[in-house]
Amino acid sequence: MTEESTDPTEPDEPDTPADGAAETERNAAPDGGTTEADGGAIAPSTGGGELVESPGHEEDTHLPPLGSLKRWFVTTNHKDVGILYIVTSLFFLIFGGVLALLFRVQLWTPGATIMSGMGYNQAVSVHGLVMVFWFLSPFAFGFANYIVPLQLGAKDLAFPRLNALSYWAYLFSGILLGVSFLQEAAFAGGWTMYAPLNIPIYTPEVGATTTVLALLFFTASVTVSSVNFLTTMHRMRAEGLTLRRLPIFTWSILLTVWMMLFAFAALLAALMVLSSDRILGTTYFAAEEGGSLLWTHLFWFFGHPEVYIVFFPALGVMAEVFQTFSGRRLVGRKWFIAAMVLVAVQSFIVWMHHMFLTSINLQVKTLFMATTIGISLPFDLMVFSLIYTLIKGRIRFTTPFLFCFGALVLFIVGGITGVFLGAVVLDYEFRGTYWVVAHFHYVMVGGVTALIGGLYYWFPKITGRMYDEFLGKVHFALFFVGFNLLYFPMFVVWETPRRVFVYDPAFTIWHQIATVGAFVLGFSFLIMFYNLYKSLWSGEAAEGDPWPYSTTAEWAVSSPPPLENFPGLPSYADGKLSFNGGGSASAADGAGGDGAAAADGGVAHADAAAAGHEEEHADHASVWPFAIAVGAFVTFLGLSGVSTGGIYPYVLLLGAGVLGASLLGMAREPFHAPDRPVGERWPFSAVENGKLGMWIFLASDVVLFGAFIGSYLFMRVAYGWTDWHVVPHNSTPGLVNTYILLTSSFAVVVALVAAEKNSRKGVVASLLVTFVLGIAFLVNKGIEWVELFYEGVWLSSSIEASTFFLTTGLHGAHVIVGLLIALFMITRAWNGAYLDDDRPIEYFGLYWHFVDIVWLFLFPLFYIL
Amino acid sequence: MSHLRLYTGIYVVLFVLATAQVAVEFAGLLENAYLLGFGLIIALSFVKALVVAGYYQHLVWEPRSISYLMGIGLLAVLALTFAASYSIT
Repeated sequence: MTEESTDPTEPDEPDTPADGAAETERNAAPDGGTTEADGGAIAPSTGGGELVESPGHEEDTHLPPLGSLKRWFVTTNHKDVGILYIVTSLFFLIFGGVLALLFRVQLWTPGATIMSGMGYNQAVSVHGLVMVFWFLSPFAFGFANYIVPLQLGAKDLAFPRLNALSYWAYLFSGILLGVSFLQEAAFAGGWTMYAPLNIPIYTPEVGATTTVLALLFFTASVTVSSVNFLTTMHRMRAEGLTLRRLPIFTWSILLTVWMMLFAFAALLAALMVLSSDRILGTTYFAAEEGGSLLWTHLFWFFGHPEVYIVFFPALGVMAEVFQTFSGRRLVGRKWFIAAMVLVAVQSFIVWMHHMFLTSINLQVKTLFMATTIGISLPFDLMVFSLIYTLIKGRIRFTTPFLFCFGALVLFIVGGITGVFLGAVVLDYEFRGTYWVVAHFHYVMVGGVTALIGGLYYWFPKITGRMYDEFLGKVHFALFFVGFNLLYFPMFVVWETPRRVFVYDPAFTIWHQIATVGAFVLGFSFLIMFYNLYKSLWSGEAAEGDPWPYSTTAEWAVSSPPPLENFPGLPSYADGKLSFNGGGSASAADGAGGDGAAAADGGVAHADAAAAGHEEEHADHASVWPFAIAVGAFVTFLGLSGVSTGGIYPYVLLLGAGVLGASLLGMAREPFHAPDRPVGERWPFSAVENGKLGMWIFLASDVVLFGAFIGSYLFMRVAYGWTDWHVVPHNSTPGLVNTYILLTSSFAVVVALVAAEKNSRKGVVASLLVTFVLGIAFLVNKGIEWVELFYEGVWLSSSIEASTFFLTTGLHGAHVIVGLLIALFMITRAWNGAYLDDDRPIEYFGLYWHFVDIVWLFLFPLFYIL
Repeated sequence: MSHLRLYTGIYVVLFVLATAQVAVEFAGLLENAYLLGFGLIIALSFVKALVVAGYYQHLVWEPRSISYLMGIGLLAVLALTFAASYSIT
């Protein structure tokens, strides 16, 4: 029934021995499957006999073999990208960890020892940024990349190239952060980048701007990733895999990504405004009225959801690992999920508890104290659910379990000490002390603990090799002891002021204990790296399912899974996992326990007689994501020092050139990522992947523009609403631009009509009209701006001028992006594209109309009111 | 889904609404009754936005879930803007 050969004796292409993971691969059954019930994807108890896709199949995809270096630059496969994320994030763990060790040495005695004040400030600031942004989330997203599509029953993410792009943008943003140290100094004002320390008067170094831009670049990567994951998780679930049946880890990622979509858009706005203050000279955060407060609002509106963004995946890993190693389904599973949903929503209404010592009023502080206490309640439910699961199960103390159990203990300590901070009066005392430092390290590094458990848990799945259990346990023992030696003394000497290295000499012994703990913690990771590296090459070969009682679908395929993941189309339609259209696999023999891999949607079992399906060709390789990230890296590097002149403007131009060329390259590259023929798609079943992706992106853009407009409104309220001067002298140019944009929107829908009527000329003409009107809009705006400049009104003239130029400038930038896309589409339409498939015009229209809608608000707000 | 006549009608409506919005300013409402004028102008912006989203972005024909998605984004920034502005002492 499948187009693949089903001959299980098809000859092997020898794997390159250079790659440990590849060594274990055998080609006993091609991806299309086999008719043998037991011979599908899982080869139980046969040692090194794991199965992978036929090499011939891999040639089809132009994807080089695992052992080749080239593969890792061009791959778009979710499993490869997941591995890249995990490895890169562990590198950043070392980076951030070494910085931490440096300042723990500095804190050995009160007062400076090995670092200058500036050096210490940089180390502390960048340590925070690296650990939160470049280590924790990407580490979790390594697993999300690898595991979530497997748990969904998908072959890959919805937009594989964008997934690779997210990774490369993440890597290069981290490199940019590293570069910032070399440009005088990296940002040294703390990881929260509070205003006014974040403006150039206080942090004038080029490197400080680079740090901000690196974070902006990272945020862009996160946005792309959010759109991709949300589209995938809502549209590409296996048949029968309703949201309620989704495995807990995937649930935790789903909610994480929803929070990311909205929270990171607010951060993007904050960072764009900050970059503008630093590079273009706007004066948002220098404004006397509300400037500093604006940053805290924008930052913590992002920052509090961010706490759960980094913690939820850890929670998901804990739940998954507890289920497997206690042999029990999560107690109160439905309520656990409901509690996670509640937290995800509530996370957006607690941000001002980070601001109890700012000038916000008492009423709003009280309100946010209440919401903060409110958000602890669902967490209580989750913690008890995890505890009861353990009580009711029979626990096997493996390394993943130990780490996850340790994480639960640490999280309880971190959570309870956080309640103190949520109370306004207590926060007056605790704010700016080591109580805060200890609390959030118990929570955040508590989360890391669970994710390390996840690394051990999925290591056999990803590599096909078992880690060394004894060394794993030694790692855990040292980790747990080191952790508590490091962070618990901070509670004891909580009166130590945060962010400085001078403290009461009476505290010295406790800080020395903490420093010793830091080195023990750091050393424990050396054991992990040794263990995992050695096991990768010479570990015992792992079966498809090395863990008895595992319940999720990734364990129903071989370790590592084949390129296309499954030996057919996974389905849970009859309550258990089966593979339609190919041989299928039972995880039974390997599972030992209850005899079958009971996937969270049901039981994985053999379904040899399943109906066939046509195997669609899928692409897995593209070099453009890498090229785009390189272009963006050079662009940001040029941007960092462009206002200082020198070589930077040329670097900027070079970067923009590479970026533009590679974007064009990717747009022109034919790349096919097949959608699944049937599946669960609630609540977006009637919206095609590309369209849903566009809408989700626009939702984040709503928050981006909303945060810009909100910043304007906030600054105006702080300034005095009626004292505010409207910058443009008259509203006529703005009104004309309103008419122009409305007409251009009309032209886009006319293009859609023309495409449906199969009129090539109509499509080209309508898009041309759109293009010309867009140009007219920009020219009109340009004339208005030049007049204002001529009168001496510049971006830095006043907060009124800053908000006017930056907000309408961001809109103008959106128009320019739209025009570039329009130009690209006109050339394609000229060659007859879009007549048989007008979806690209429709999706472009969604963007263009959105830009139109934004102007409908900017016009009255900046010209009339 | 696409009907040229409907699109044209929508375009005319949008044009009229945009003109009406400026007419509120020219009528001097902002000088005499600022709040009323402010409310009218913002309301007109929302009406135009809904018309564009509903008919040019086809939201009236799409599953409601897309509208809710955009609504959630809007709600989030409105919450941020109002709470932040309210917090000012």
